[in-house]
Amino acid sequence: MIFLSKKADWLGNIRGDVLAGIVVALALVPEAIAFSIIAGVDPKVGLYASFCIATIIAIVGGRPGMISAATGAMALLMVTLVKEHGLEYLLAATLLTGVLQIIAGYLKLGSLMRFVSRSVVTGFVNALAILIFLAQLPELTNVTWHVYAMTAAGLGIIYLFPYLPVLGKNIPSPLVCIVLLTILSQVIGLEIRTVGDMGELPDTLPIFLWPDVPLNMTTLWIILPYSIGLAIVGLLESMMTATIVDDLTDTKSDRNRECKGQGIANIGAGLLGGMAGCAMIGQSIINIKSGGRGRLSTITAGIFLLILVVFLGEWLKQIPMAALVAVMIMVSIGTFSWSSIRDMKSHPLSSSIVMVATVIVVVGTHNLAMGVFVGVLLSALFFANKISRFMVVKQTMTAEQMRTYKVTGQIFFASADKFVDAFDFQEVVDKVSIDLSHAHFWDISAVGALDKVVIKFRREGAVVELVGMNDATATVIDKFAVHNDPAAVEKMMTGH
Amino acid sequence: MNKIIACIDDSHMATSVCDTAIWASKRLAKPIMFLHTLEKTPQHGADDLTGTIGLGARSSLLEKMAILDEEQGKEAMQMGNELLATAVARANAAGIKTIEQKQRHGDFVEALAALEAEARLMVVGRSGQGHQGDFKAVGAHIERLIRQVNTAVVIAPESFTEPRNFMLAYDGRQVADEVLQRIIDGGLLKGATCHLVTIENNERNQKEKFQQAKTRLAEEGFEVIASYLQGDIYASLMEYYHEHNIALVIMGAFAHSKVRQFFLGSNTMRMIENCQTPLIVLK
Repeated sequence: MIFLSKKADWLGNIRGDVLAGIVVALALVPEAIAFSIIAGVDPKVGLYASFCIATIIAIVGGRPGMISAATGAMALLMVTLVKEHGLEYLLAATLLTGVLQIIAGYLKLGSLMRFVSRSVVTGFVNALAILIFLAQLPELTNVTWHVYAMTAAGLGIIYLFPYLPVLGKNIPSPLVCIVLLTILSQVIGLEIRTVGDMGELPDTLPIFLWPDVPLNMTTLWIILPYSIGLAIVGLLESMMTATIVDDLTDTKSDRNRECKGQGIANIGAGLLGGMAGCAMIGQSIINIKSGGRGRLSTITAGIFLLILVVFLGEWLKQIPMAALVAVMIMVSIGTFSWSSIRDMKSHPLSSSIVMVATVIVVVGTHNLAMGVFVGVLLSALFFANKISRFMVVKQTMTAEQMRTYKVTGQIFFASADKFVDAFDFQEVVDKVSIDLSHAHFWDISAVGALDKVVIKFRREGAVVELVGMNDATATVIDKFAVHNDPAAVEKMMTGH
Repeated sequence: MNKIIACIDDSHMATSVCDTAIWASKRLAKPIMFLHTLEKTPQHGADDLTGTIGLGARSSLLEKMAILDEEQGKEAMQMGNELLATAVARANAAGIKTIEQKQRHGDFVEALAALEAEARLMVVGRSGQGHQGDFKAVGAHIERLIRQVNTAVVIAPESFTEPRNFMLAYDGRQVADEVLQRIIDGGLLKGATCHLVTIENNERNQKEKFQQAKTRLAEEGFEVIASYLQGDIYASLMEYYHEHNIALVIMGAFAHSKVRQFFLGSNTMRMIENCQTPLIVLK
């Protein structure tokens, strides 16, 4: 049951969860605003989304301690939809995304994550970090030097404030950064962009709203492609974040429940005027680091975020964008997997290629799903190539006019040609024995290759004997092979 | 299907769980397995409220948390071994021949569910660690355990004395008849006086079934004291329980559906919470 949780998941770590939830909420505010700006909607859309998603996922999610809210990965996919059709269509697409994710949960698609290799995950994480960074650039181009100075000062505060004794360890430095920079810009009256310039901020609690779109097929065809993309990226990032949280806390998560939970959370967000979101890698790390482990941490983050936003709305408007940019650069740095750059030398070239290809495709298309698709495809090809090398054919002359070939290893589409090439058809012999006791035939390409070899030898006038096929090989050959069936042989030999 | 599996933790219940298991082991002539599970507590000390993530944030955090876990884990394992050794020594002294001990990481409900194929009977303490001295506190996991396993569960009280009589709450449902059969087949309670108690409800033919149950128990050699009462199930059972100094209670698991229980609570859980004697839940 999706609403049932262990009591310990909620109340097992009250102090740690509440404190961590507050720290996370403070960092969620700038992120939600920044991601709304990426998507091209008012900051309130992202803020409502973050509140709804965090609160709902706390109850229905499958990974206690993970933070979900409005995210950059999702925001990037919405840009065109918002530009061409407006906010209402985004809300409708958010609802559909939720429905698709719930279906994915019931189809147990979470288990497909096993095809996503470590290199692809690293590539995804790095690409995400780069995208978050790139998304800050519009705020840093064509601006006065004040903005650069403010951003630099912000980063300085974020990374140096924790070194202060006592205070540094107990007050979240991103908060200090935002508060100090806001006060500074007010005091000296700088003419720089603030959050208030970026669009409407929430002034009330979110209200229930059915998206104002015509309910017809035209609408469906507009939103469906976006919803599919959002559903895939949302689940990918959520599953990857769940893995990271699993590793950090040494506990297990329920992936299929998480898929359904993400769906329910997105439906909730869509109905309360928020954009689609998913799990956040950076925020989840901050939560764990701050001592958050249970569902209570996620719900605290959501509720505290709403309180902050609704009651401090007037103050939020004064925050200079430079302060948000500094926080987002921190998130980008913290998300990037620096060890992956360091380890590139020691890791196999193929995995580095997969990682880099994933990053390049994502940065090029701004679509994390495409990057993962390319990464998974490449890893599969590299794997097939590696396994195809585990195939050796040894030949010996066992008797007068009798040649024995001993095949060892895996024969499948990638090694089939190599298998055929290993036989010497020019040699004139009476009898050929092919020993398959250490070989494994995986697919019809392999079976086809064996057929070809057998038939070629027969045409040269040799008697062919297949020996020692192990059981697995025998079953595949029985299913697909044609060389025992004269009609089929004839068909194959004539080429049609 | 042949072991008495007893869950030992470091609460004040350990001795009583051990004694209950020894009693069951002797009555049923089955071996004992003492189980201790190392449940993970959320790590503290990694709390860092700076809210910042910098270069290599993930790997350094992982490193830090692994070290904390390692320290805690070693300590907990050592303590668990000592607890198990004490229990084994006690069982040895009581003359039990075959004793096994096992330590598992993770939740004890999951550990027990995994061992279910080997279990004849599971013995758990009424309250687990973290509930020391809290009189009504039922171990948070007992309800989950009863739902998850299909083996009979004995819930041990704070201190164990061998029961000379027992109360069977019989409501005439099919489950209750199965429970009756298990008592007759089981042998755990041979020779003890049986208080057969039925609280009138709207089950059909309840009175006849009650009479049949009484006759069956008597035929099987139990000394039966049968009472057919009226009133609220829980209150009447508790009143009878106190009035007759009942030494052990036997119940079938949860009569209500999960949804109903969510709103109404269940008589089973209330009985477990309020009985200061061993209580057996049969599935």
